[in-house]
Amino acid sequence: MSAKPRETANVGAGLWKATGMWAWLLFRISGLVLVFYLGAHIIIISTAQWGSGGETFDFMMETFETPLFLLLDLALVVAVLYHALNGVRIILMDCGVGIHQHKIIFWSAMAVVVICFAIFAWVAFTYLLTGEGVAG
Amino acid sequence: MPDIKFRVKRQDPGDNNNPEAHWEEYTVHYEGENLTVLEGLFYIQEKFDGSLSFRFCCRASVCGSCAMYINGAYRLACQTNVKHLDTDLITVAPMPHLPLVKDLVVNMDEFFAKYEYVMPWLVRHSPDPEKEIIQSPKERKKIDMPVDCILCGSCYSSCPSVWSLGASLGSKSEEYYLGPAALLKAYRFEVDSRDEGGKERIARWNNERGIYRCHTIMNCVEACPKELNPTEGIQWLKRAAVRRKLFRKAK
Repeated sequence: MSAKPRETANVGAGLWKATGMWAWLLFRISGLVLVFYLGAHIIIISTAQWGSGGETFDFMMETFETPLFLLLDLALVVAVLYHALNGVRIILMDCGVGIHQHKIIFWSAMAVVVICFAIFAWVAFTYLLTGEGVAG
Repeated sequence: MPDIKFRVKRQDPGDNNNPEAHWEEYTVHYEGENLTVLEGLFYIQEKFDGSLSFRFCCRASVCGSCAMYINGAYRLACQTNVKHLDTDLITVAPMPHLPLVKDLVVNMDEFFAKYEYVMPWLVRHSPDPEKEIIQSPKERKKIDMPVDCILCGSCYSSCPSVWSLGASLGSKSEEYYLGPAALLKAYRFEVDSRDEGGKERIARWNNERGIYRCHTIMNCVEACPKELNPTEGIQWLKRAAVRRKLFRKAK
């Protein structure tokens, strides 16, 4: 390990600015969000098909197209993107890659999250504002 | 003659009249440009309150006794020049998440019990050579990082895996996470070409108490006053465990 110059040696930012700890905490939280979402998703979709004529199912699908649920969908997109890309970073570290560069890798992953989210948000808001999909 | 304000966290759990934690402020005078936090504590002890308790020994960041939580970061009091903190208020607290003894002194029993558990010594089975055990510069290079550990406990105190499992003294301490310092020490001997204790030692760290409780949070790297990288060592051990299981290597 190369020592830092004496002037800056041992002047840390403290744990409140530690990237790794917040990355880990958000990783755990987004993981829990995904587990609860998956459970709710399976229960709602399966039970909505019970009964006659599929009226419940149609009603549910209409509800999910309301602006509130579209915004919740976007929140879900954030959780999925974050969990997936930070997961890649952790797998890389387990393979011994980028332990010294983990902050750079984290912020690069976050840049990818932002770019992907922008695409999803564009699709969602186009639908919200015009009532049509981006392709049409 | 400059002045600097010290805000020190005081607590004496043994004092029945005032067992609660509280902050006390002292103004420290010093001559010249330089004052280490440890010197400031000596000044407080001499001029204001002789009952202020803290650990120190070498005053040269070699012994690891004086690790404290200074201005929001883990630092060695003897190594920290107040000039470099760039502030006129120095806050000094004991290392968090460890059982407190008094003022700035924390109980390190658990820490050292876990350290001892990973067999932090050279294990040899082959007969001793006539002279020293030869090691090439390339082999020596591998232990450059881990040998610098001074066992100050900063990484252990900063690790969230330790917070949840085992920072406080408990009857089930043998189930708790060993912590970054002990695992770094295990790495130091596992990676050493002279050591032959791979088979005995692996059982100590290749289990739920050991490497698999590390979630690569990296707080230990952030905290280490010697700027070491315990996570790198733990990740090496994880890969070594897989390698040995798959290819049946002794080391």
